[in-house]
Amino acid sequence: MTKTFLCAAIICLAATIVSVAAETGRAVVIYEGRTIEIAKASIQSADLWVTTADLKRATGFVIKPQGICRDELCFPIPKNRKNEFISKQGRATWFNLTAFAKLTNQSFAWDEKNRVWYFGPRADVRSEYLATLEAPDFTLPDMNGRKHSLRDFRGRKVLLVTWASW
Amino acid sequence: MAGEWIAKAKAEYTVLIDDKHLVTQLYNLVNVPMGVWINEQGRIVRPPEVAYVDNRYKSLHGIDAAPYLDAIRDWVEKGERSQYAVGEEELKKMLAPQSEDRAKADAEFALAEYLYNLGQGADAIAHFKEAQRLDPDNWNYKRQAWQLSDAERDYGTSFGKEVQKLGGKPYYKPRRLPQKQE
Repeated sequence: MTKTFLCAAIICLAATIVSVAAETGRAVVIYEGRTIEIAKASIQSADLWVTTADLKRATGFVIKPQGICRDELCFPIPKNRKNEFISKQGRATWFNLTAFAKLTNQSFAWDEKNRVWYFGPRADVRSEYLATLEAPDFTLPDMNGRKHSLRDFRGRKVLLVTWASW
Repeated sequence: MAGEWIAKAKAEYTVLIDDKHLVTQLYNLVNVPMGVWINEQGRIVRPPEVAYVDNRYKSLHGIDAAPYLDAIRDWVEKGERSQYAVGEEELKKMLAPQSEDRAKADAEFALAEYLYNLGQGADAIAHFKEAQRLDPDNWNYKRQAWQLSDAERDYGTSFGKEVQKLGGKPYYKPRRLPQKQE
């Protein structure tokens, strides 16, 4: 019985190592508007695994006992699904960024050939203005490269009109 | 590319360049021109809606600009007392949460734009197509993609052909302006 269990445990561990080791190489992560190049990322079945150091660098999130946290914001990892998110390989801990995006309702897209991942805002962030009706802020340049933010226009009415030269 | 028009217009208002279509994503826009009214406190008082300010394309879409211009003038003069400023509860109903497909379309489109700017225009096409599939009523996502390559060759269509396919159906949600009070 003990032998069977030990054998099963070794197979599982080996499977984990193989999965994390699969297709390791550089990747570009665009996370909430910031573009970060990652020297060593791992792709398996369209899932993007990054080291905890790269997780922090790309997203600001860190693994804590209470969950995946950035400042006061924490997302608990479901107890029975920890292996979907975190994997230890030697001294490195890897984190499944795409599984985290699914957990937090964050839209994402990826391009296999160019190894680029784009992560947009989470669903709760996208819709938070619906409760307050506060116009979502943005910062964009004018023709001279000078940046303007919507919030700079507080105290004045704003008619926000979009057009294109298509 | 837009600079030519901006210079010609000698605009006295602020004109910003949004090459990543950030405002399209933040405000759930689907075409141009669209407008949003924002009051002095930074709160939305009219939702995104078609915002023609002249009638140069009226023969195409049948939308008269005059009522919209009158409504803007009324709001500028009367503020929240304007009949065109929408109340909070009604506005919350009008501003529907973004669908999951629209959120995915935004991500595919943003990825496509990144690849295009990286010089990987051919690789961007599949992602532009996926964005269009996920959000088929979003003309911003169609027109931008068609503009960046040969639309006939890469997408098998053109703006003119797609407009024809509509057979007169408006490609904007109908604008809901209250009748002008004399």
